[in-house]
Amino acid sequence: MEKEGLGLEITELRLGLPGRDVAEKMMKKRAFTEMIMTSSGSNSDQCESGVVSSGGDVEKVNDSPAAKSQVVGWPPVCSYRRKNSCKDASTTKVGLGYVKVSMDGVPYLRKMDLGSSQGYDDLAFALDKLFGIRGIGVALKDGDNCEYVTIYEDKDGDWMLAGDVPWGMFIESCKRLRIMKRSDATGFGLQPRGVDE
Amino acid sequence: MNYFPDEVVEHVFDFVTSHKDRNAISLVCKSWYKIERYSRQKVFIGNCYATNPERLLRRFPCLKSLTLKGKPHFADFNLVPHEWGGFVLPWIEALARSRVGLEELRLKRMVVTDESLELLSRSFVNFKSLVLVSCEGFTTDGLASIAANCRHLRDLDLQENEIDDHRGQWLSCFPDTCTTLVTLNFACLEGETNLVALERLVARSPNLKSLKLNRAVPLDALARLMSCAPQMVDLGVGSYENDPDSESYLKLQAAIKKCTLLRSLSGFLEAAPHCLSAFHPICHNLTSLNLSYAAEIHGSHLIKLIQHCKKLQRLWILDSIGDKGLEVVASTCKELQELRVFPSDLLGGGNTAVTEEGLVAISAGCPKLHSILYFCQQMTNAALVTVAKNCPNFIRFRLCILEPNKPDHVTSQPLDEGFGAIVKACKSLRRLSLSGLLTDQVFLYIGMYANQLEMLSIAFAGDTDKGMLYVLNGCKKMKKLEIRDSPFGDTALLADVSKYETMRSLWMSSCEVTLSGCKGLAEKAPWLNVEIINETDNNRMEENGHEGRQKVDKLYLYRTVVGTRMDAPPFVWIL
Repeated sequence: MEKEGLGLEITELRLGLPGRDVAEKMMKKRAFTEMIMTSSGSNSDQCESGVVSSGGDVEKVNDSPAAKSQVVGWPPVCSYRRKNSCKDASTTKVGLGYVKVSMDGVPYLRKMDLGSSQGYDDLAFALDKLFGIRGIGVALKDGDNCEYVTIYEDKDGDWMLAGDVPWGMFIESCKRLRIMKRSDATGFGLQPRGVDE
Repeated sequence: MNYFPDEVVEHVFDFVTSHKDRNAISLVCKSWYKIERYSRQKVFIGNCYATNPERLLRRFPCLKSLTLKGKPHFADFNLVPHEWGGFVLPWIEALARSRVGLEELRLKRMVVTDESLELLSRSFVNFKSLVLVSCEGFTTDGLASIAANCRHLRDLDLQENEIDDHRGQWLSCFPDTCTTLVTLNFACLEGETNLVALERLVARSPNLKSLKLNRAVPLDALARLMSCAPQMVDLGVGSYENDPDSESYLKLQAAIKKCTLLRSLSGFLEAAPHCLSAFHPICHNLTSLNLSYAAEIHGSHLIKLIQHCKKLQRLWILDSIGDKGLEVVASTCKELQELRVFPSDLLGGGNTAVTEEGLVAISAGCPKLHSILYFCQQMTNAALVTVAKNCPNFIRFRLCILEPNKPDHVTSQPLDEGFGAIVKACKSLRRLSLSGLLTDQVFLYIGMYANQLEMLSIAFAGDTDKGMLYVLNGCKKMKKLEIRDSPFGDTALLADVSKYETMRSLWMSSCEVTLSGCKGLAEKAPWLNVEIINETDNNRMEENGHEGRQKVDKLYLYRTVVGTRMDAPPFVWIL
C-alpha cells in the first residue's frame, strides 16, 4: 500500500481519472498541500503553472484543507481568475499568511499572520505589539521621523521597503519582514514618503 | 427581390445585422452574394486560422469592424501552451496595407504585441474601438501608442488580459484634445496608475459611460472620479482601501448618490466589506453586478447589498454567498437572466457553501433565467430534473461539480438522468458543460434532444466511443466540441469525417485517440487542420516502433480554407 511515507508519489502529476483510490490520495494530498503551504514559492505561482489542487473531497482533516486531485486545468476556472483569487486565498487563510519577522537587536524572531492585518496601519500597530516597542509602526508611514525602517523580502528574494505598493500586492509577495535600524540603512537613498502620484 | 435595383436591396440588407443572418443572405444567389459582400461592415471570424487576411479583404473590402478569435477555449485552463499561436500582427499588417477603413477591432485569446498595437494606432485614421479579451503578449507601452495616436478613440476595453505593466505613463499619453472616450476598462492592469492623469482624462470625457479601474485606484480617488462623471453607467471599482477615513467615505457616498444612471457594478478587487453600503442608494437601478473577484466580502454583506437589487438581470458572484444567499437572490431578483457562481476556494478546504439546493432555489425564483454557470460541491438528479422543469428556457447551462466523477450524492447514481432532463426540457439550449459521474447514456440523451446545441464541454465523462458518436450523429448544429480525459478514441473520431466540415473545431485531450487515427483523419480530410500538441517529448513519437498506436495527448482540429498554418511552433504537429 502506498499510504505510508511521503515518497515521491506525492509529487506525481496524474492526468488519469481522479476520485479513485480516494483514501490513498487523501493521505498523499494532505502532505502535498502541506508542502505547498510551507514552501517559499507563492501560491499564485503554483496556480499559474496549472498544477492546481482542484475541487473535490469534502472531508476535512484537522486544519489542513482537504486536498484535491492534482489535475491540470481543473476546476475549469480561467487563469486570470485563478491568479486573482489565489492572491486572496493566500492572504485570507490562516496559516498561509504567517511570515517571520526579525528585528535588529532582538535575539529571536517572531512570526505573525499578515492575513490578520487589514492594511499598513494595522500592520504597523501589530508590529508594535509584537515587539513591545512603540514607534516601529511609524516607520511604515512616516519615513523620516523614526528610528526604524521596515523592509520585507519579496517573492524574487529582493529586500523591499514596506509601504510602496498597494496592500494587496504587498501581502501577496511578502515572504518575511525585517525591522532595521534606520542608522544601518543610511546611504541607501531612502526618500521621504509622500512622493506619490 | 431580383427586380429591385441593387441600392434598394442593399438598403434592405442594412437592417440585417447579425453575421449569421448575413452569411445566410449571401448564399441565396450570386447577386445577393455580391451586394452583401460590398455592404458588409462587421465581420466575425471565430477561428483566425480558418481563413486569412487576404481572403477577408478580397471578399469584404468595405469592412469597418473585425472580430477575431485565436486559441481554443481550453487555453483558458492552461491546456494550450503559450506559444501555440493566434498572432494578430499579420492581420493588422494586411489591413494596414490595404488601407481599409478599420474602426473597430475585437480580439479574443490572441497574441497581441506592442508592435501590432503601434501599427494599429498609426494605420487607421478613424479607429475608434479596441476590445481585447483574454489576450497576452503586450505591455502598457502598446497601450500608450493607442492612447497617443488614435484621435477618435471611443472604446479601450481590456478584459482579463495578461499585460506586462511597465508602470509607465500610458494614461498621460491621451492628448488633451481627446474627449471622445465612452469606454475605458483597465481593471486587469497590475501596476500603479497615474491618478492625476486619470482624473483629468475622466473630467474631459463627457461621453464616458463605462469606467473600470484597476487595483491601484484607491477609494478617495474613486470618489473624485465619480463626482466628475455622474453620467457613469458601468463602473468597475478598483481597490477599496480597508478602513478608509470617514471623510473619504462620506465623499464617496455623496458621489455615488449623484450617479443616477449607474446600471452596472463590478470590481471590488480588494474590498473592505462595510464600504459596500455606500452603494446601497443606487442598487435599485442596477441591472448587472459582478462581485466575483471580491473574495474578502463575505455572505452577509453580499446579501445585504443584493437585497436592494431588485432589477438585477446579471449576477456574477462567488460561492461564499452560500445556498442561503442564493435563496435571497431567488426571492429578490425576479428579473435575473444570467447567473454565474464561481468557486472561492481553489486550493481546497471543502467549505464552499453552494449545493444543489441553491441551484434549485434560483430556478424556482427566477423565471427569466436563461444562462447559468454554477460551480458546486455536489448535485443530484432530482435537483436537475426540478431545475429543468422550472427553467425550460436555458440557452447556456454550465455545471461544474468540483470533484470529477462525483455521482448523485444521495443515490450514488450517475448524473445522466439529470442532464438528460435538462436537454430534453430546454429546447433552445445552445451551450452545455457537463460534470460529475456520467456514462454513455447522457450522450445518448444529448444526441437525441439537444437539437440546437452548438457548444459542448466534456470532462471525465463517458464509457466508450458510443458516447462521442451519439453526440456527433445527433447534434446537427454542433460547432465547438471540447473533450478532456474521456475514453473516446479513433473509432469515434473517424466515424464521420464530413461532420467536421460543419463544425468550427474539435478538441480532445487525454482521450484515447492515437497518432495513426489522427493521421488517418488528416488524410481523409485535407480541408481540416489536424494539430497534435505534444509538449513532452517530440522525438518519442517518431522513434517509437509502435508510433501508430501511441496515444495523442492533445488533438485540436478545425476546418480551414487556407490549409496548414505557417506559424506553428515546433511542438505542434500539423498532420
